[in-house]
This record gives sequence, structure tokens and C-alpha cells, in this order.
Amino acid sequence: MHITPEALFEARRDFLKLGAGALVSSTAISQLLADTPLDMSLMYTPDPNPLKLSPNTFEQITNYVNFYEFSTDKTAPVKLSQKMKTDPWNVTVSGDLKTKQSLGVDELIAKFGLEERIYRFRCVEGWSMVVPWIGFPLYKLLDYLEPNSKAKYVKFTTRHDPSLFPDQAKGIFASIPHPYVEGLRMDEARNPLTFIAVGMYGKRLLPQNGAPIRLVVPWKYGFKSIKSLDLIECVESEPLNTWQAIDAKEYGFYANVNPAVDHPRWSQAKERLLGKLTKQETLPFNGYEKEVAGLYAGMDLRKFI
Amino acid sequence: MKALLVLFALLPLGFAYYKLESAIDPIKMLYNYTGVGAISLLLLSLVPSTCKRVCGQNLLRYRKTIGLLAFAYTLLHVSVFIVLDSEFDFITIFEKSLKKPFIYIGAIAFIILLFMALTSFKKLFAKLSKYHKAVYLALALALLHSFWAQKVAGVFEYSVVAVGVVLLVERIFHLKNNLLYNAP
Repeated sequence: MHITPEALFEARRDFLKLGAGALVSSTAISQLLADTPLDMSLMYTPDPNPLKLSPNTFEQITNYVNFYEFSTDKTAPVKLSQKMKTDPWNVTVSGDLKTKQSLGVDELIAKFGLEERIYRFRCVEGWSMVVPWIGFPLYKLLDYLEPNSKAKYVKFTTRHDPSLFPDQAKGIFASIPHPYVEGLRMDEARNPLTFIAVGMYGKRLLPQNGAPIRLVVPWKYGFKSIKSLDLIECVESEPLNTWQAIDAKEYGFYANVNPAVDHPRWSQAKERLLGKLTKQETLPFNGYEKEVAGLYAGMDLRKFI
Repeated sequence: MKALLVLFALLPLGFAYYKLESAIDPIKMLYNYTGVGAISLLLLSLVPSTCKRVCGQNLLRYRKTIGLLAFAYTLLHVSVFIVLDSEFDFITIFEKSLKKPFIYIGAIAFIILLFMALTSFKKLFAKLSKYHKAVYLALALALLHSFWAQKVAGVFEYSVVAVGVVLLVERIFHLKNNLLYNAP
């Protein structure tokens, strides 16, 4: 039995439309070419998955999100984001590095290649999931950017464009201050686990998951993994991340997953894995203790939340 | 009529049960359904007396039913906490959870509603009905609990505040008029 792969099926339809367009006029063709959807599938090196993690379903991961630029609801961003234009998309790199520049997402993909990383993801709210991300480790980008000796931190900023993100158009009624800002210490940013994702489950990211390009830091609470990146800066002092700015008593700069340190309002000892009616233990550093605990040697993790 | 009210009020539970199988975050979903149900019904239980004064409709005979339904939802909400969320780990519940304002504020609201439910029957109600004014405290605490349950509050919480303020303002006006009217 022959089943046409989804991408080919879509491509064939686009080709047929082009043919039909040619009969009408050449402007119709250029119009159609502009509307031709981006090829969503990606080529990548699969993750051998040594931890034998079983990923949550595509349906679960794409229908349960925190994306306050659209809504504070978990499912509303799915509908609200479908028209979001994520191509073309450039990321600006600046600050204490060799060359300030603007890089297209496809340019980044071509430069650094793509690999899969099946990671645990733990939200500060107490739920968790396992996601097969596709992208490249951040250190590859940093190696290319050559930060200078003044660069102690990396600061990330979400795009500020009220035409894309309805919450950014709400002024003082916005749910959070915009644009969203996150940061990492340079050694955290250079850790091999720290990842820039452009896809998931073999395809480019859907808008609700932070398309077209986002950060993934698997040992930290999910809010550190900033979405829809606009700006990456190498900076001298610790960036004030958005949730710390909102309430520093509840959310810190580090936000390392830590079952021993409760959120002021709720326990962090256990988590609800999406799709499960029973809870499971939360692991120190979300199960990546071996890889990252050394970054925090000598630090009081009750203080540096 | 009362049976219809009960059936209608319990409909969301049937829906929650139906959705449970495919729910992405089932425990959270059950918390939401039972919590939103409890607060909505609690708010609704304040409406009959307003209705009597404002539109002359006497719906007071439904007040107790609505109140008991709100308690039923609260009881389910607490059950989700004990059974699914804490998995009967009473040591953690008493040593850790109840220390958190978010949890004990909710627990106080539950105890108030438990007291009201237990004293809602004729004999006791005659003696203790004056204490049923505590429903306002229970609603305020439940609302605070709801605000604290998430990173930032959503449309539901603000809607409840809005409706609550309207009901409260009407009561204050009514009280003031009464005082003026009864002044010597």
C-alpha cells in the first residue's frame, strides 16, 4: 500500500495550485508562492535516549502550554496562536561578543545542524512532561559568537510585537510585563544540556510551543525556557528575569528544579506527569544532577531559588 | 424544581468524569471543575436574598439546596487534595501542606462550609442560623485560595470578584436604607 507522506501530500497540492495559478496570471503565481507553507519537517540526528524516557504525546505537548503572550489559560494559546507568522524570523545577537548580527532561523539550522534531545520538562506549577525537542546546543552558537571576557551572563528576550501576541497589546492590563526576559550564567549557558529548540516530534515548533525558536534548560523550572526568541545578548551583570521581577520571593534567577525547596505556596516534592492520574517524585535538578550539580557547588540552594 | 436544580448543578461533574480519560492534566482538571463549581454555587447562594429585595421574586426556598450543592463540590475538591494530590500521605498534609497559607485558607473555608452543612437541618438551623453569615468569610477565603492557586489569576477569579462586589453593594445599600428608615 502506498501512503503519501504528509509533507509530500501538501507539496503536491501546492504544486497543483501553482499550475492552476499559471493559467490565470503570473501575479497569482507569486501570490501563491508567498503563501506556500513552510516545509514543517526537519532532518535531525535522533536521540539514542539512554535514560529510556517515554515522551508525552504530540497532542499533549501541543495542547497544554503556558504562553502568557497569548493567554494565561493552558489551552487558549493553541487557538490564539494559529495565525502567528513565524517565517521569516531573525534572531538578533548583541552585547559583549565579537560581531553583533541578525541571524535567520534557517541560517542557524544550516550552521549548527539539528539533533534530537528527549528531555524531562518540569513546570514550577507542579506538572511535568517529556518532550522530544529538535535543535542544537546553545554552546555551538556561543562558540560561533565568541563572547568577550566581560560577558558573564546570557540574556534572552521574547519578541515584542503586539500584532503577534495579543497580551502585549493590552498595556497596563497585560498579564505580565512584556517583553519576557530570561537569563543564564555563562557556565549554565555553555553546559552541553542547554538547548535551542526549533522543532519537536520531527517537525518545526508549533506557534503555541514557542515557535520558531526557543530556549530549553531541562534542569530548571519551565519558565526559564523562554519562547519565541528575538534577542540573545551576552552581558556583564545578572539579567532580571520576568518572574523574578514579578515576585522575587516566589521566583528567583536560578529556578533549578529542587524537590527539597518548596514554592512558598505549594510543595515541589512531587509532580503530575501529563496524562497521569497519579503523581511521581520530582528529581533533584529534574534528573540531571550528575550533569549540572557541579555548577552550583558551595551555593545555598535554599537561598538561590 | 429542586431536583432539576440539583441535576443541573451536578452536570459539570458528569462532564468532568467523561473528560477524565483523555485529560492532559487530570488532577488539575478535577481541581478546576470542583473548585470553580464550589465558588460559583457559593456565589449563587447569595443571589436569592438579593433577588427578593430587588425583583420581588422569592427564591429563598432554593438557598439551602444551592448551599448544600456548593458544599458537595467543596467536599469533592478536598477529596482530590487528600486522595489524588496527597495520596493519603497525612504526615505531609499536616506537617507541610497545612503550613502554607494557600492551603490553610482553603481548609478554613472548608471547615466553615462543613459547619454550615451540618447545621443546615431544621432543629440546629433554628439555633445556629445567625452564624451562617460566615458564608461571606468562606467565600472571601475560597476566592483568595483561588487567586493563590496559580501563578496569576484569570478571568474566573476577576468575574467572581465583580459579581461579589455587586451583590455586596446592594446589601450595603439595603442595610443603610433600613437603618435610615428605622431611625428614631
